[in-house]
Amino acid sequence: MPQSPDPKRHWRSLEELADTPHFRAFLEAEFPAADDPGGVSRRRWLQLMGASLALASVGGCYWEQRELLPAVDQPVDRLPGKPLHFATALDVAGAVQGLMVTSHDGRPIKIEGNGAHPLSLGATDAFAQASILSLYDPDRTRRVVRSADGRAPQSSTWDEFERFAREHFGALRDRGGEGLAVLAGASASPTLAAQRAGFLAAFPQARWYEYEPLSRDEEIAGARLVTGGALRTQLDLARARAVLTLDADLFAEHPAALRYARDFARSREVAGGRTSRLYAVEPTYTITGMAADHRLALRAAQVASFAQLLEWEVARLAGLAAADGADDSPAEDPEAPPAPPYDAAVAQLVRAAARDLWEHRGESVVAAGPRQPAAVHAAVHRLNAMLRNVGETVHYTEEPEGARPAHHEALAALVEALRGGTVETLLILGSNPLYNAPADLDFAAAFEQAKVRIHASLYRDETGRRCHWHLPEAHFLESWGDARSFDGTYSLVQPLIEPLFGGRTAIELLALLRGEAVPRPRELVRATFASIAGEVAPEELDLQALWRRTLHDGLLAGSAYPRQLPGLLAPHRPQPPPPTELDRGLPAGGEMELVFCRDRSVFDGRFANNGWLQETPDPLTKITWDNAALLSPATAAALGVEADTRVRLSYQGREVEMPVYILPGQAAGSVALPLGYGRTAAGTVGGDAEAGVPPVGANAYRLRTSEALAFGSGLTLVPTGTPYRLATTQDHHAIDTVGLRGRARRLGELIREAPLDEYLAHPDFARHVVHHPPLKSLWEEWSYEEGHRWGMSIDLSKCIGCNACVVACTAENNVPVVGRERVLMGREMHWIRVDRYFQGDPEEPAAACQPLTCHHCENAPCEQVCPVAATVHSREGLNDMVYNRCVGTRYCAINCPYKVRRFNYFHYFGDLDQPGNEVANMAFNPEVTVRGRGVMEKCTFCVQRIQNARIEARNRRRPLADGDIRTACQQACPAEAIEFGDLNDPASRVRTAHNDDRAYGMLAELNVKPRTAYLARIRNPNPELSDASDEHDRHPA
Amino acid sequence: MGEAIFPRWIDKARPLLGAGLVLAPVYLVAVAYYGGSPRTTTVGYMPQQSIPFSHALHAGELGIDCRYCHTTVETAAHAAIPSTATCMNCHEQIGATAESLRPLRESAATGEPIRWIRVHDLPDFVFFDHSAHVARGVSCVSCHGRVDRMEEVYHVETLSMSWCLDCHRNPEPHLRPLDQVTVLDWVPTEDPEVLGARLRPDLNIDPSTDCSTCHR
Repeated sequence: MPQSPDPKRHWRSLEELADTPHFRAFLEAEFPAADDPGGVSRRRWLQLMGASLALASVGGCYWEQRELLPAVDQPVDRLPGKPLHFATALDVAGAVQGLMVTSHDGRPIKIEGNGAHPLSLGATDAFAQASILSLYDPDRTRRVVRSADGRAPQSSTWDEFERFAREHFGALRDRGGEGLAVLAGASASPTLAAQRAGFLAAFPQARWYEYEPLSRDEEIAGARLVTGGALRTQLDLARARAVLTLDADLFAEHPAALRYARDFARSREVAGGRTSRLYAVEPTYTITGMAADHRLALRAAQVASFAQLLEWEVARLAGLAAADGADDSPAEDPEAPPAPPYDAAVAQLVRAAARDLWEHRGESVVAAGPRQPAAVHAAVHRLNAMLRNVGETVHYTEEPEGARPAHHEALAALVEALRGGTVETLLILGSNPLYNAPADLDFAAAFEQAKVRIHASLYRDETGRRCHWHLPEAHFLESWGDARSFDGTYSLVQPLIEPLFGGRTAIELLALLRGEAVPRPRELVRATFASIAGEVAPEELDLQALWRRTLHDGLLAGSAYPRQLPGLLAPHRPQPPPPTELDRGLPAGGEMELVFCRDRSVFDGRFANNGWLQETPDPLTKITWDNAALLSPATAAALGVEADTRVRLSYQGREVEMPVYILPGQAAGSVALPLGYGRTAAGTVGGDAEAGVPPVGANAYRLRTSEALAFGSGLTLVPTGTPYRLATTQDHHAIDTVGLRGRARRLGELIREAPLDEYLAHPDFARHVVHHPPLKSLWEEWSYEEGHRWGMSIDLSKCIGCNACVVACTAENNVPVVGRERVLMGREMHWIRVDRYFQGDPEEPAAACQPLTCHHCENAPCEQVCPVAATVHSREGLNDMVYNRCVGTRYCAINCPYKVRRFNYFHYFGDLDQPGNEVANMAFNPEVTVRGRGVMEKCTFCVQRIQNARIEARNRRRPLADGDIRTACQQACPAEAIEFGDLNDPASRVRTAHNDDRAYGMLAELNVKPRTAYLARIRNPNPELSDASDEHDRHPA
Repeated sequence: MGEAIFPRWIDKARPLLGAGLVLAPVYLVAVAYYGGSPRTTTVGYMPQQSIPFSHALHAGELGIDCRYCHTTVETAAHAAIPSTATCMNCHEQIGATAESLRPLRESAATGEPIRWIRVHDLPDFVFFDHSAHVARGVSCVSCHGRVDRMEEVYHVETLSMSWCLDCHRNPEPHLRPLDQVTVLDWVPTEDPEVLGARLRPDLNIDPSTDCSTCHR
């Protein structure tokens, strides 16, 4: 087992830490993972290139004639080439983000958050950023497909379907809808809910089932256990000083994650010598765990015991307080028995955390995640009540989903009805149960019982291919609709483009099936809007004006659910759990726990055909284009599993083979399985069996049963020994062993962090991590006394590593997707990457992340070696990259100390010239050059945004204001970690950040004069805990 | 001695060296000639349009301002080609039956756009912004020439990078008061350099020659 000699030392990966032979081989290979660079000898290649160059010069004499097609009747406010912005909302499985979409000449090309929306605050997550690519995905269903039993599917039309529907649903209506069942995914659309009610009124015998593979059911059940009502918890993390999460990824997976990430980041600002503190207890590393000051890895099943123990500890503190007469806490027995002996780390953490939470009562938060059972959620409600957080940092609103049955129960009921033969017609709206239903239900077999199966979805997926009718659904950017976000804020969804493939929304489809001849979705949404507006703003008389304002602003002001103050039902007397339940060793008998996770790239599988997301490295594992069973180093050692091999997982008689990834910080004896991979009918990106495209990753749903939807025990894991290389980007840009040693020594200098007390004692500690002699340049120094001096700052205390910036940059800058094979060769093209570091013990490490873009050095090493001046300095300090001058020597990339330059080894967009790819071409940002083969590229600080903002300001004869220019990464960031602006402006936010005590330049000792300043991360460890563990390694002051 | 680098038959090609020496200057001259010829620089390029639209008639004789049709030049990167509706404002009455305007009437009737052939076309890696020039005292005539005298529009300037840079390095002779930007036959009453120097601070002219100004 690799051991870090120094608990404060940073390391990048286990392989690097242990310096395995495997890693050595990777390091020394010129072309990692490619045994033979293409199978063509170098000489043959030169010959071929000579020939193609000659051909190219023949063809390249004159450019093609192009046509200009002006509008016949130009809409008033639409100027050719001038982007417009429209507010809309994205609803992913019922979780809503308010968006502001940029449309270029009628094509939506970029998604940003709606700054006015209380849950988006101008930010987005990676899924929202990538949804633009899904809109233009050529694999989306382009037409109605009809397949009779036993016959090949045929292309059909909506007209044909409408004829069928009139007859079929007309007959059904006469029978009161008997034998009709609808299966739909979760939705936050009030209009869809109204349509559903109307549909069920027209077909009173019909049954409606709602299923999502990843559900908040336990959360709803937990609230009901404690309060008896349907209540939704809303956290106010901005005010919280101490937060404890129980298997909850508040900053990535929560429906209000963007808001929570922003509030948490703000609470991390050190004010008056204080900052907030975060404890995370979780089975597998999450974004929230990475941000935590203290993290405890516990198996998912043990989290309940931890919650019980915490409740007992807090109750004891509350009881003691009451006994002292200090205040009127719930009366608890002050003479409660002392805690039995627990695992040392658990006992320490729980005691310290309980005391911390209690000290900050009214200003603390305890939260549990959707994976945990209702009992844990109930404990959390009681804890928050005991800590007096209710009404302070924890609020309750109504739970609109409170009345529906749990998702898996609904699906089980449907299967039963199907088996019983009572369902003749099955209508599926957007769901893909053949892929994601629990394995024990055997949905596929039951499904065949329905005689008429109709499926409407964006893709002809696993389910769509087995249905009699498959109907193309409209993408949300093509649709009228509406959505209520987690806090109840009502947004309208407006179309930015005509449906590309003739898709229709579920709203339209339901209206059609109900018998409406020509459904007008806008009118249907208007009707819902009118009723909601009547409740929210009854005094507003001009409904048309309110509608326009809501469309424009993207939300209906004041539509958030009102807060409630529930009472707790039964008093609860906490008992400490038996210590054996909190034993953190490997479980006896080799029975592993399996934990199903929402994937950070493909969600539950619905984004499997999105190349941007597939290529985005996971924040923790850095895996692209794959999923893997995640185990801790100790578990892997105990089972004899090696990295880069495949294992066979068996659970209750079902087997799946998949690669393993050894993830430091995974709970011992727990195996995390990301869902959403192994798709066989996703498309040409995510896997398509019919087209011969192998699936990406392995399908973990095949192990998922109704009893173990979140986690379960009894998994056996057998190494197969088959080698398998995961395309992880973590060890990329390795140089050689000398470089590696140099870097390993330097990691603590690259990412600087300190505990709060050290920071308070030495506020400028980050500047003293590296000392160097005065730096003198051999080159003439640039001067920027006049004009602008662009610069960036990245606050490591705020960054949560969520990847929104990476996908935003890909969307904004036409960054190519290269695929798994080329990622294995280290040829990924991202202009911004997020480095992940671990620190300390590989079993229980702290993690940190650091986004890295081009630093636009003033003494840029790349500029100094370019033989053709293809990368040059601008007078505003940008390091310009001139694609047309670049001849592809790649010297610049080699000389770049940050390794942020990317080379186009192939013409990645080459095939887009071919006919049939017109739709895919529409996704490009017309403001940015699409690069060809053989040129270098890198972050430009979004120079197109700089230029456009400058032209706008100058045309209006006003100076550029701070905030006029926002880079794509900055705009997407939910945590406001990135600032961009003019360093010459003393009042600019970026200047303020550069002047901050915590600011430091990465590798500034090389005299490259980086333009990006990092703000060192301040951790806020509980002194009670850090004294115990850090005593021996703390440097003498 | 190691192995020979070149094969033996190369010796036979030695006399060709002399021929190469003679041909090299010819080749260089040919490249220079071809590279500078109007065909390469597109100067004089005059495609035939589907409607024989005469700028000389509309902008010259009738004196219609450029911005009546090219509405976006002061606010957007592109100088928009007028919509069919703009043309029909007049041509519903004037020349309502003219044969030459048949494509216009067809467009208005069918809703299909008129297909114009682009005359001034910059490479895809160049990002030019009309508003940054027109709203800041650079006249249309500087790049497009005397369009008000053209029966059919043709390419006047090379629109090459060095041509752009000439002006970006020394903008003053090309500046004029904002109200004269679309007056193509305007002649300054004083030395253009002096006028330009006077206008420059007011128009906030500070053209950059950084690569990223035009290449993104």
